[in-house]
Amino acid sequence: MVNGTIADLREVSKIYPMGGLPVSALNKVSMSIKRAEYIAIMGPSGSGKSTLLNILGGVDQTSHGEVLLGGVKIDNLSEKALLSARRKTVSYIFQEARLLSSLTALENVMLPLAFYSSKESGVKPKDRALALLAKVGLAKRASHLPHQLSGGEAQRVSIARALMNDPLLVLADEPTGNLDSKTGEEIMDLFRTLNNEGLTIVMVTHDPQKASHARRVIRLKDGEIMEDVTNHKFSICETT
Amino acid sequence: MKIYQVALKEIGKRKMRTLYTSFGIAVAVSMLISVMITASSGQKEVFNVIARYGHSLTITPVDKSSSQSLKNFGIGTGSYIPESALPDILNVYQDAIVAGWEKMGALIFQEGTMGVAGAAFPPPTFAPRLYEETTVKGKDVIVGGVVLEKELIARFWWDISDGRFMENDNEVIVGKLFATLTLTKPGDTLDLGNSKMIVTGILRETDSPDDYMVFTSLKACQTIFNKQGKISMINVRAMCPKCPVGEAAVEINKKVLGVRATSQMEIATAQSQIFQKTTALIVSFVVASLIISCIGVFNIIMGAIHGRMREIGLLKALGASKNQLIRFFLYEAVLIGVTGGVIGFVLGGALSHIVGPILFKDIVIQISPRFLVIAVLLGTLASILASIYPAVYASKIRVTEAFKSL
Repeated sequence: MVNGTIADLREVSKIYPMGGLPVSALNKVSMSIKRAEYIAIMGPSGSGKSTLLNILGGVDQTSHGEVLLGGVKIDNLSEKALLSARRKTVSYIFQEARLLSSLTALENVMLPLAFYSSKESGVKPKDRALALLAKVGLAKRASHLPHQLSGGEAQRVSIARALMNDPLLVLADEPTGNLDSKTGEEIMDLFRTLNNEGLTIVMVTHDPQKASHARRVIRLKDGEIMEDVTNHKFSICETT
Repeated sequence: MKIYQVALKEIGKRKMRTLYTSFGIAVAVSMLISVMITASSGQKEVFNVIARYGHSLTITPVDKSSSQSLKNFGIGTGSYIPESALPDILNVYQDAIVAGWEKMGALIFQEGTMGVAGAAFPPPTFAPRLYEETTVKGKDVIVGGVVLEKELIARFWWDISDGRFMENDNEVIVGKLFATLTLTKPGDTLDLGNSKMIVTGILRETDSPDDYMVFTSLKACQTIFNKQGKISMINVRAMCPKCPVGEAAVEINKKVLGVRATSQMEIATAQSQIFQKTTALIVSFVVASLIISCIGVFNIIMGAIHGRMREIGLLKALGASKNQLIRFFLYEAVLIGVTGGVIGFVLGGALSHIVGPILFKDIVIQISPRFLVIAVLLGTLASILASIYPAVYASKIRVTEAFKSL
């Protein structure tokens, strides 16, 4: 990683075939994401927000350009190597919490460990999961099943789950889209807190109010970056 | 958390669907298991009979006078073996059997018994018969004179469908076909030669010439047809499962003039082969039904995968690899298979108690634990085979496709 850069997109384009015709979802997008940044990506539907998020997360491939994730060029990696890079680097938070209804909150947080071991931290996975639940304010809800949790609580569990592998980058796609405004604000406050602790977050949102919580706002239109501004309400965290 | 723990919890959430899918496997497994239990128990019944009665030997006179039509049925009339020759034939038989046993190993020969150490067998049963052609109720028929207690050992399948066996020399039993064609029933009187004989019973159908015959005691038959001291054939039951009756037949043919001994071992072997082929045919039908069940399970699991796109997408987003997703679905398949196998075993065991007695008279259904193992293995194999493609399909779903559902 150069100068604390976590992700680097260089002249990235993405073209989908649609009805036999090529449709450009992203057009020569270049951007860098530094450690501890909190970025909101805004734009109308079809502007390429989700495509950008998927390319950043390594689950979608570019048509042109280069993507570096955690200092590793990922566009030519084998499937296995790409999966390994993704596991170490990124986590997702979705519009809905998407918890497995058969698992308790604690088990949902630990779910990523069913597929790979977390980074060595010397902390037992269960203790780490409990600590994460405490961090999102749900220490007492660890043994509850998803249907026993409110929407906001479930989303907090999914945030704890996203932190379980200690990711470099958290990608959040409309994380408050299904929540009422009060709960949405609580989630935004949680994001701020996590960001202040050094977590790098890239969040897609339609809502300018939610975007105002981010330190940097990127506006997309027709697959191109129209605006990339630092939100001067906050002081930029110069973590390297 | 381990993948199997997650899979088990997810299955626990869908108990009814798992049970429903398992039932598809269970039905096919139960059919297969019931056939296997019935065939195994039936074969034991056959082997028990062979063990109890042994193979048989038929001794007939070298016949130059019987009509060809009767000879085709193995029935000879017109040529006889003198009853006085029976002890000589018995001696030759015994000597040949003893020699045969000696070839095979240690022999214990006690009075009235023979066999290897620890397994003494009763002496052979020599059942003499006298056949005579006559006309009864206007029908040409063969009358068989038999020694009933020996005949019931030689022809252990004999059974009375109506009435009872004859007990006196003025009594007869008749074959089922003869009784039907001549409207004969127990209590009727038949004219045999100059004697009036009372019908005491109708033989249960045997699908043999016995069905169109009249049977009385050997002594009565000899008296009626004036054939004192003569017999038409001797049926020998070895009364031990591995007695070398083939060698006894060879020795009798060599040493006793005027008779021909034929071993029935080949017939028993052929019967056993037919039994095995019939079982194989039934099993093949049942395997076909198992394949159909697999297709049903395949459809259910494929449908379930489409309904679980969100779950698949989530697991992929959380870092599940293709192999891990395949394992995730195969754990479910194993549980469905094991459940189906256990249910199939229980149903199959119950079914064999219904089917077994229909196919084999006096069958004793024996359900050994190995059938449970077979049922579980078959159920699991069928379920895994039906789930492999859906599992691979699920693992290949593109993450971005799955994400659309998230």
